[in-house]
Amino acid sequence: MEQVKITVALIIAILLQWTLRNIAEPFAYIDFPLIIVVYAALGRNSIKALFYGTFAGVAVDALSGGLLGANGFSKTLIAYMVSELVRRVYLDNLLLRIPVIAGACLLDDLVYYGMQRLLGQELYAQFVPTVAYSLIGTTIAGTIIYLLLDSFFAENTVKRKREVFTPRRQTRRRNPIRLGNRR
Amino acid sequence: MVERSQKEVWRLAPWLMIILLLFNFVLMAFDAREARTQQRIIRVWTQTFADFVQSPATTVSSAVTSYFQSISNLRSAQTENDVLKQRVQELEVELQQKEDLTSENARLKSLLELKEEAKYKILPAQIIGRDPSVWFDTSIINRGSLDGVKLNMPVVTKGGLVGRVAQVSPLTAQIDLITNKMVREGAVIGELGSSNTLGVVSGAGKKEILEMDYVPGGVEVKAGETVYTSGQEGIYPPGLKIGEVIEVRSGSATVSPQIFIKLSANLSAMQEVAVLLYEPPLQPEFDKSLPNAGKKK
Repeated sequence: MEQVKITVALIIAILLQWTLRNIAEPFAYIDFPLIIVVYAALGRNSIKALFYGTFAGVAVDALSGGLLGANGFSKTLIAYMVSELVRRVYLDNLLLRIPVIAGACLLDDLVYYGMQRLLGQELYAQFVPTVAYSLIGTTIAGTIIYLLLDSFFAENTVKRKREVFTPRRQTRRRNPIRLGNRR
Repeated sequence: MVERSQKEVWRLAPWLMIILLLFNFVLMAFDAREARTQQRIIRVWTQTFADFVQSPATTVSSAVTSYFQSISNLRSAQTENDVLKQRVQELEVELQQKEDLTSENARLKSLLELKEEAKYKILPAQIIGRDPSVWFDTSIINRGSLDGVKLNMPVVTKGGLVGRVAQVSPLTAQIDLITNKMVREGAVIGELGSSNTLGVVSGAGKKEILEMDYVPGGVEVKAGETVYTSGQEGIYPPGLKIGEVIEVRSGSATVSPQIFIKLSANLSAMQEVAVLLYEPPLQPEFDKSLPNAGKKK
């Protein structure tokens, strides 16, 4: 059921990415599919996250002026890296996820820009301002969206916390004087 | 679906990542090789599907925006009404003068036996989507091949030239904006018949600013002059307004000056555009009577 919810969230994110720029230009700096892909990767299911990354990236590329597959490439890479990171580091806290989404956005932009230039494409936007605005916009939007998604998937968040922090077994300290009396 | 253990998932993930990355790279390489000669089917299908999402979203957002705008506009309606009435009277006078000039022009043309240039139809369209990637600036309109739109047809607004059709699906088309560095068009500063300041205009990497190259070094160009299409690249008809010169960095007799042009079309606020159903004239057949034409190796 959780996977269905994340799939629906991803589809909504792609539709928002297709339409919101026409309403207001600043929305172009928020990468909604990336936010959902990173969220899926933080759920410790790397295979599904990889597929989400490819699907979301190709869907965005299909309506973009860039190369078909460039976003798919970068988001697949990000999904893998985040899922590998979450294996090793506890990241279920929202505060810890903020630098993760920021780093993911930065790396996604660098890889996307690099792949476009590698294959001889000229990009319209200037590199530094675009990366900066994208980093700010995606991080802020990602934080808000993660708050919403965490409340949506609350039971699974509690379950994951229990899996990571298993309650310690409390051992009773034995009174040596009493032990001595038992003889 | 087969349940996998966590260890199995971690073992498979790197291989799956490599396969998916290779798949995306092949997509990119294929797209890069054939972007200018042939459209990708997946893009045509996706644009067609996206029309069912983008058109309603644009309709709803336009309705909401115009509702709130009309409320704010009521406050200044009376003053604007008076100003507009006066402007209408002035325009009526100008129109009458222009009608006189038009009829005089027609008489002079017929005297000189000039053939009238072929007219092209104008197809109004609405912008229903923008490029989802912030790195590119294309637009999607709600007209496609079913409406007669074809590749490379020019797109204009009331301000001037906007770009050209880069991809077409049955219901929609994607426009490459004129500010794209890869989109180049032949241009002339001033009217084509009276000016020889020809060059090539392309995006300068800044919003709504273009750069004109290949202008002869000895030609004098001043800020404020209007730039039009020359029609020499075989895509745009001549005489479409591109913009105005805002800055000239002079060169020398052998070095072209750097000319920066402010686009006259307002790209950031455009909602309606028009596609010119213009087919460029066929290039003349190579003259086979030229001296070296028949030589064989």
